[in-house]
Formats: sequence, structure tokens, C-alpha cells
Amino acid sequence: MAKLVLVAGVPHPPRLVYEMAQSPGKMKGEGLMKQVREQVEKAAPDVIFEVDSDHFVNFFYNLLPSFCIGMAEEAQGPQETWCPMPRYVIKGHVPMAKALFQYGVHDKFDLSAAHELRPDHSLMVPLHFLNPGMELPVIPIYTNGFASPLPLATRCFSLGRMLRRFIDAWDGDERVAIIASGCFAMDVGGPLRGWTDNQWVDTISKQLVKGQYQSLARHATEDRINHAGNNSGELLNWITVTGAVGKTKPLFLENDEGSGYAVWKFE
Amino acid sequence: MSVYQVNKLLYMTDNDPAFRKRMKEEPEAALSDFRLTAEERDALTTGSVGKLYQMGVHTFLLNHLSRYELFGVNRDNYLDKIREGMDYDPRFEEGKMPMQYFIKQEQ
Repeated sequence: MAKLVLVAGVPHPPRLVYEMAQSPGKMKGEGLMKQVREQVEKAAPDVIFEVDSDHFVNFFYNLLPSFCIGMAEEAQGPQETWCPMPRYVIKGHVPMAKALFQYGVHDKFDLSAAHELRPDHSLMVPLHFLNPGMELPVIPIYTNGFASPLPLATRCFSLGRMLRRFIDAWDGDERVAIIASGCFAMDVGGPLRGWTDNQWVDTISKQLVKGQYQSLARHATEDRINHAGNNSGELLNWITVTGAVGKTKPLFLENDEGSGYAVWKFE
Repeated sequence: MSVYQVNKLLYMTDNDPAFRKRMKEEPEAALSDFRLTAEERDALTTGSVGKLYQMGVHTFLLNHLSRYELFGVNRDNYLDKIREGMDYDPRFEEGKMPMQYFIKQEQ
């Protein structure tokens, strides 16, 4: 039986990679990312599920699933030429990804699957920090965080619960980590660029710390998410992973620039 | 409305290096590959980000106009441009988040 050993949530600002390389030790996010990384190292996972929303690099309106499992044997990213960070090859875990696809469909989740991937910065920035050398296989789980209509947050929560059931039932001895990639509230490229909806960040953070995950999922409507800025649908990735944590409360949750850094541990 | 076509050409600008080159070197000809309304074409070629936003072009894709400096749009004027035609919102004044970094040159 596989074992869930860690769940984490982190944002994916490319500028963090860039600024840490230019002048280390200056950004709060650097320390927080290191804090998360230490916990990942201690938990020593064998495989990472990363819940992420593609930013119109892997998917576009021509074909845009609400939920999609990444099944590629390997993939290169980030694909965006503007993104100031190193390029990597990540490897997948095809048997486990295929089994999750089948398990999910039989559990009434009409999932999609992608055998080729073009990872963007949102998938790669967390891995740059949390999967050094890209040694661990990664199974991306994409949620549609940006192209309306978004999947319901309550449905994302259920997806996370299904993921947990799958991991607990998986006939292998892998130690599993789940990572949510994304911010709580942010606007990039929209008319509110630069503004942070601190009220929403506080609401999210308090509910996460108290373990009120279902309540958070009920509050996170598309209207509320949109009010917080065009990037704020990434919260759905956090809500998805809270579906997998059960009643466990986070070991820590810290905020920075409209985002959260959090870790849940299970042993 | 064919706003899909506007989204598509912006998506291709970011993801297809050959098309991006055409958008930089011969933008008018590059646009002719797409079924655009006169209004959409005009809004693009005049860099009217606000109009495109009102038409429903996705903001992530719209941002590529500033990222790749097309039709007179750049990082410095993008925010003013997208707000053209919008009612004043006090949140406009509250921006404290730093901007993203872009690598301008092709790799």
C-alpha cells in the first residue's frame, strides 16, 4: 500500500527563482520555500502528485479540460521563452498515472488524460525548489483555474478526496507527496495588476489553519475568486489538495504577497 | 464575435516561435491568417488593450502584447491601456505587488 507522507502548497513566481539567483537572501519567499523543501526532504517521498493550473501553454481554448492527469513518460519545461529560470526534463510515473485515471473514472470523475505535456512555469517553479535535480517522478493533475467556467471548488475538494482514496488503495509501496501550485489572490495581466485582496487571503488562511477545508470550498465561488484578481483561480489547486489531507491540520502556513506556503505531514 | 481568433493568435504568439517572428516582423500579414472582425483587427493594430479586454479576450493572453511588445504595447503602458474604458476602481491605487520579470530576447 502506498503512503501519503506529505501535502504542501506553494506559489510559483518565476521572479523568485530569478531574484534568488541574482541576490540570495533578500526575499521572504526564499526562506518560506526552503522551509517547505526541508519538510519534503524529511518526508522522503518517492513520487510527487502536483496539482496545477496551466496558463495557456499546455492547453488552449481549442481543447481545455476541467481536470486532466499527466501521463507523459517525460516532459520538458518551462516552455515559455520569457521565463527567467533553468529548463528541466521531468519524468512521469506512467503506471500510477494510468491507474489514477482508471480509478477516477470508475469513481465517477470524468477525467481527461494527456500523454504529451508542455509544462509551464506554474508546474516547474515548485519542482525547481522541491524536486532538486528532478529526481522524483511527477504526476501532474491539471485543474482549469483560469478559463471560465471554472470547476466548482467543492468538486475540486471531492477530486482531492478521490486522490487520497486512490493513494491509500494503490498496490505499491511508494511514499507519496502531493503539492498544490498557486497563489490565493493575485492579478497578473489584468486591470487590477499589483493589487492584493488581503481580506480573501486572510479568510483562506484562517480556514486552512483551522482545518475548515469544506467550508473554504463552499466559500470559493467563481465570483469570489474573480473578485480577487485574474490569477486567483489557482486556489482551486489548494482546495483540491485539502480534499486529500482528511482532518489533519497544517504543520505551518505562512503568507507572502497574496500567496501561501504550507505543509501537512502524516507521520 | 470571433474573439476566439484573437485569443488564438495571442496564444500562438507565445507558443509558436515562427509565428511570433512573423508577428514582430510583419504583423499585418500575420493577422490576415485569422478570421477577425474589422473591430478586432483595428483594436489589435492600434494596441487598444482596453477594447480587447472589453471584448472578452483573456487577460493572460492579452498580456502577451506587452510581453512581446506588439502594436505599441509594452510593460510600462499596459496597465493604463487595459483600464481604458473602465470605471474608476479604488483598487487601482492599492497595487503594491512587484511586476513580473520577462526575458525579452529570444533564446
